[in-house]
Amino acid sequence: MRPRIILSLARKEIISTLRDTRAIVSNLVIPLVLVPVMMIGMPLLLGSLFEREQVTVTNVGVVGEANVPQELRAAFTAANLALEPVTDADQAVRDGTVDVAVVIPGGFEAMLAGGGSATVEVHSKVGNMKSELNTSKVQQAFSDYQSRVVAGRLSAAGLDASVLRPVTVRTVDASSQAERSSGQLSWLIPFFIAIWTLTGGQMTAIDATAGEKERGTLEVLLVAPVRRAEVVAGKFIATMTFGLSAALMAILGIVIGGAVMGSLIVPRLGEGASGMVNIMGGSIALTPTIVLALIVSALLLSAFVSALLLGIAMFARSFKEAQSYVAPLSFLFILPAVALQFKDLIGLSDSVFYVPVLNVLILMDNVVRGVGTGREALITWGVMLVAVLLLLRFALRNFKRESVIFRS
Amino acid sequence: MPARRPGQFRNARAAFGRPGLTEASANIAGVNELVSVRGISKAFGTVKAVDDLTFDVAASEVFGVLGPNGAGKTTTLRIIATLLAPDAGTATVAGHDVVKDAERVRATIGVVNGGMGLYDRLTGREILHYFGGLYGMRSAAIEARIAELDQLLQLGDTLSRRAGGFSTGMKQKVVIARAVLHDPQVIFFDEATSGLDVVARRAVIDFVKAYPSAGRAVVYSTHVMSEVEELCDRACIIYRGRKIAEGTIAELAAQGDGKGLEEAFFRLVNRYDTSRGVAA
Repeated sequence: MRPRIILSLARKEIISTLRDTRAIVSNLVIPLVLVPVMMIGMPLLLGSLFEREQVTVTNVGVVGEANVPQELRAAFTAANLALEPVTDADQAVRDGTVDVAVVIPGGFEAMLAGGGSATVEVHSKVGNMKSELNTSKVQQAFSDYQSRVVAGRLSAAGLDASVLRPVTVRTVDASSQAERSSGQLSWLIPFFIAIWTLTGGQMTAIDATAGEKERGTLEVLLVAPVRRAEVVAGKFIATMTFGLSAALMAILGIVIGGAVMGSLIVPRLGEGASGMVNIMGGSIALTPTIVLALIVSALLLSAFVSALLLGIAMFARSFKEAQSYVAPLSFLFILPAVALQFKDLIGLSDSVFYVPVLNVLILMDNVVRGVGTGREALITWGVMLVAVLLLLRFALRNFKRESVIFRS
Repeated sequence: MPARRPGQFRNARAAFGRPGLTEASANIAGVNELVSVRGISKAFGTVKAVDDLTFDVAASEVFGVLGPNGAGKTTTLRIIATLLAPDAGTATVAGHDVVKDAERVRATIGVVNGGMGLYDRLTGREILHYFGGLYGMRSAAIEARIAELDQLLQLGDTLSRRAGGFSTGMKQKVVIARAVLHDPQVIFFDEATSGLDVVARRAVIDFVKAYPSAGRAVVYSTHVMSEVEELCDRACIIYRGRKIAEGTIAELAAQGDGKGLEEAFFRLVNRYDTSRGVAA
């Protein structure tokens, strides 16, 4: 292996890709722009919607409007709810007249005043975020009203309200600062990095393999006094350069997005919105150690993807055919990355760190949430390194096989 | 040997007639056969593409490999160019075995094929620097060689423009420049004129005529009889993977009873089919 030849091969592929505007936009510009936009935009959008729904006076359909006691009306008003008489609760919710409707039975107030109990119905669309949000406001209003009724009854019996709450439950968030700030969307970070590792290297890998075949330049290249291992090494370095640079852009996007969110946007939000933004991971802040661990993981992931892309794309006879071969590879990242959000429920054992790709995705998720360990990192990186070497052997084998080079 | 026609590459013999640039070309002294093929065979599955083929190419000659499409010409050339390994037989280029010493063989040869493939996003100069680097040439040596080839092939604009915008003629100039950049002892032309217009085709033919010298040879593979008649000193005819005739162009044409090489070709093919019991 001669470094000068390898660098010459890599340099040509890099120059070729750099001169393709589409590749630069999709590799470098889009991750840098899209990641912060998604990081800031999504939590901000959901946070502001949540806050708006909290403060906006919402109409609630009511069947039996005349049966609503004055105190319940006051509770509804306090929860920013306005009663709107309807004849059919289900129909009113279904046709969108209101997001939520309640049914108050006749003699409701009298039943409660007599010390009895009554049942009210709350009709909503389960799965509809707006409907569920307003349902929680309605439930809050009923809960407040119920507390007043109970307090009245206890008072009449000469008892204090605290008699009903002998035990006070106080929940304390035991998660670390990193876990709290990464919120529920921490899995998006390994997802972004993995996806851009793939899309970043894809064009170069295909151009350097199937593209060479299609143009008729592969034969001329292989007739030059270069060794196949040098050809693979040069093309691998070029592919990895773009895969890694796209992933680095995504990491930079995450850092920028987190900084903008934490310093400029969250402080200006109301309590409700900033709470929602935090839950969605909008206040994420990556320390230098976390960034370094992400970079090492991205480096190994892009090496894995580059070797895999070269090995697979070499089979194809044309650029188009190669694209159809590598397209399903995105599922290799999308499915595990999406499954990461249910990681706590699945209860993964330590053996997952021996599974290439899955291990690096989980490690990145753990690192972002501040729960990654050095042992996990070493196992993951070691396994990925071995996998990269095996895939490079696979790619080299394909570059040596006559049936692959001259496949027609 | 057919008379050389004046043309675009009329000065090429003088340009190529100086000592070779590569180490490999210095090793050629004393080797008469630049290419030696001995009983090579190659099968793809059940199809025998090349069957027990033997021929030699001497220094200073243009050797034709003539045959219809699918006869095994490209497979033969790919074996000699080290891209395919023969199932049986041996081949050497400038004394180097194509299997055991493939890298040295590759340093000794140049290839021009019909695809005229170039890297669209690189300029002609960048393409030549890229390949020069792969042949172990230093940047200054590549620049000096580009200057020579610019004079010889009139590369002109092709050096500074990206290949994606090249006309067929421009492409063909850079493809040839790329093939001779390292001053190879043997150049293989494989259906190199297919798809070219009349001007570009003539340029290739003039170049092939001018290239051979004391230490160099050309192997010219084609199915076009007129090109073989005009260019080649000797040729072999390949049919169904086998060599069915070999000799000077005059010797081959004589088998056509004065009706030319094409008639001779069909007679030889028919005779072969008859001997094998194949319907013509």
